[in-house]
Amino acid sequence: MRIIRYQNTPFYTPSLNYPGLRDEMDRLFDVAFPALSSLQRSGLFGDLEGEFPVDLYQDKDAFTVRAELPGFRKEDIGVEVADGVLTITGHQKTETKSDKKDIEAGATTQERRVSRALSLPENLRVDKIHAAYENGVLTVTLPKSEEVKPKQIAIEVK
Amino acid sequence: MNLLTKKEPQAPAQTAPRRTLIPRYSVEETADAFTVTALLPGVNSPDVETNLDRETLTVFARRTWTPPEGWTAVYRETPQADYRLVLELDRRVDREAVRAELKQGVLTLTLPKAESLKPRRIEIKG
Repeated sequence: MRIIRYQNTPFYTPSLNYPGLRDEMDRLFDVAFPALSSLQRSGLFGDLEGEFPVDLYQDKDAFTVRAELPGFRKEDIGVEVADGVLTITGHQKTETKSDKKDIEAGATTQERRVSRALSLPENLRVDKIHAAYENGVLTVTLPKSEEVKPKQIAIEVK
Repeated sequence: MNLLTKKEPQAPAQTAPRRTLIPRYSVEETADAFTVTALLPGVNSPDVETNLDRETLTVFARRTWTPPEGWTAVYRETPQADYRLVLELDRRVDREAVRAELKQGVLTLTLPKAESLKPRRIEIKG
């Protein structure tokens, strides 16, 4: 199964108890890696524009894909299998509630689109694939077919 | 006052401390409240602890999901870490009125501003 690696893995950060120190570190990062920091700061879902991290597990019966897709509604997530490729898409329109007390009154619409494609091995029971969404994590179960064992082909020797 | 029931400092975690990760978050301010939104995919609501002390707001969220027995990780991108977010608390926040909601991995904290600390216009009489 081939997967294109997700580019924007978040930083591991030891617990930083001092917001001041963290601000300072953020500033240092901004200075050192301007391109990276603009990527990191482009809104809450900034790095989720486009892609999202996935994990792949396997046991004797199935492959399982777990994808982190926080904040979607179930109906906004699409899971599709075609031509041996699993495609996970998320599309959401968020309408910010208009607050009359606010100066910038009026609803704004935010759109978020994400997509990820994974190529699948051949020995899957495509009709038995199922998906579940819980706590912002999508789980896709891809059962393996029975005849995973390599077939023995007898060669006649003349 | 009963000194024996004095609050113990936070009990240390039984297991070795796991790595923590600052979740992706945003802070918005309106005239009435601050809203903190943090992305905590893979976290159940009982596993989120939100604490306010004098100067800071701390969110600690534990990822409790572990692969079932027999599963092997073929490929991993998500970090095996808990989330921890520490923010400086604005002194205008009404601590008693802070609300938290976790929905599909998105934590929304609403921190209303205390009525008495909102700017007010004082009319001049006469």
